[in-house]
Amino acid sequence: MRAFKDLREFLQLLESEKQLLRINEKVSLEPDLAAAGCALAQLGGAGPALQFDNIDGYTNARVVVNVHGSWANHALVLGMDKETPIREQFFEFARRYQKYPGEVERVDGASWQEVVVNQDINLFHLIPLFRLNRGDGGFFLDKACVVSRDPDDWDNDNVENVGVYRLQVKGRSKLAIQPIPQHDIAIHLTHAEERGEDLPIAITVSNEPIITLVGAMPILYDQWEYQMAAAMQGQPYKVVRTAKGLDVPWGSEYVLEGRILSRQREPEGPFGEFPGYYSGGHKFPIIEIDRVSHRKDPIYEGLYLGKPWTELDYCQALTTCAPIYVQLKTTFPEVVAVNALYTHGLVVIVSTRCRYGGFAKSVGMRILSTPHGLGYATIVIVVDENVDPFDLNQVMWAMSVKVNPVADVMILPNLSVNLIDPAGQPAGIVHKMIIDATTPIAPDRRGHYGQELDIPPQTDVWRKKLAALVKELQQ
Amino acid sequence: MSNAENTKSDLVCPRCRSSKAEVLTSSPVEGVWTIYSCTTCFYAWRSTEPEENTDPDKYPEPFRLRPEDLAKFAVVPTVPPLRRS
Repeated sequence: MRAFKDLREFLQLLESEKQLLRINEKVSLEPDLAAAGCALAQLGGAGPALQFDNIDGYTNARVVVNVHGSWANHALVLGMDKETPIREQFFEFARRYQKYPGEVERVDGASWQEVVVNQDINLFHLIPLFRLNRGDGGFFLDKACVVSRDPDDWDNDNVENVGVYRLQVKGRSKLAIQPIPQHDIAIHLTHAEERGEDLPIAITVSNEPIITLVGAMPILYDQWEYQMAAAMQGQPYKVVRTAKGLDVPWGSEYVLEGRILSRQREPEGPFGEFPGYYSGGHKFPIIEIDRVSHRKDPIYEGLYLGKPWTELDYCQALTTCAPIYVQLKTTFPEVVAVNALYTHGLVVIVSTRCRYGGFAKSVGMRILSTPHGLGYATIVIVVDENVDPFDLNQVMWAMSVKVNPVADVMILPNLSVNLIDPAGQPAGIVHKMIIDATTPIAPDRRGHYGQELDIPPQTDVWRKKLAALVKELQQ
Repeated sequence: MSNAENTKSDLVCPRCRSSKAEVLTSSPVEGVWTIYSCTTCFYAWRSTEPEENTDPDKYPEPFRLRPEDLAKFAVVPTVPPLRRS
């Protein structure tokens, strides 16, 4: 396990692991940066982060993208070997998740306090913002963490929230924010607006890499993200308290302090979103920024988001799997693993041991009632304990031979889903489906499953031997 | 004439064709680019972007808006009633 004190330390590791590619030629904010991010995703594999050091229109701006954008980089964020398979990353991620709560260390002073701007703020000068996709309504911060507290419970650290929400930069010091009702910050905003007060917030940009994953994690309302970040990195998590009383990461490049304006809404969007579709336009709350602090020569960390898979899909992969897995295990210890990698877990594949006929369908229904299930999971596939949910060849085999649609497909009508699921009808409501791809067992006696193939003896021995020989052959 | 050379009076929003667009900012290095913002539909664009983002005639059809469309945007989240003191 390893903790990175800030983004720069992690970029140094990426560079030493040959997972950071520097682009020194002059680039335009549009279309170069988004095009490069998209192209890198198309190349697939162990894609590196990209750092652009020569941005047209700025004297010394630096932009980095794809910091989390491959399983290799994701493993390095966790302090693991860059060749660690997804399944191993999942079990390690889930193990650390269950170490919650870790320790939070409050410290005075941070590098991001080196430069303070509290008048004539111009976010477009301070941050090299760029359009991601041509239909986007403007320029967005899409990888920042937003910190807020509950105005009705201000001193309760457990309900301080750190979340990654999309932020449209609409003016020199004005943003829009998307707090959908399922988001924790929506609870804080509702309380502030019931009181007729602005909600103080801090927006942290270009953070050390673990808080970005935790900010995208659907943890419980009264779980504190900083304690989760500490558990995930195996060391105390360092934060600094702002004058308004909000805790922000020590290792950020920028901290923007401001307020969500009470009871105001304004057109926002569209924005190309995680399902691979634009969100459409909404009237969202607006933010006024009063103060910007940043490191000298700050690095701006952006994220290209396109039709999956792009960097976003790595940021909301194991962060989605682990909470569902742990929440399921408390009810059903028979659950083996959860794959919610696809489109932020709109599809979830779970493997489980089945105690009796019909058991798998109950596991599927439990997924739909987890916090994540309320806003995302729409198709749940349940497979046997000996099927690896991260191996789609195995999952498709189970679907092929163990599903009799008349008995194994359940449609549950009119359940809640995220507003930006394009299948919603109306938006926010969708029928959901559970596919039971487990082997029927008593008393659910169906099909002919008595003679399943297994592997020849000595296969495990030969696999290890051949793996080494093939590696040698191909070096 | 490029958008970079437009004056306030002849600015038209590429998305909603409102003439109520204004200069939001210009590049830190003088003369490289300008960002405009529409005060009707809140679309923003940079003068150096591809034409489909800067030219009303080339702006992609699926993303065009009429100013009256804005009234149909859903309010999210809903604004709660004020508490009685």
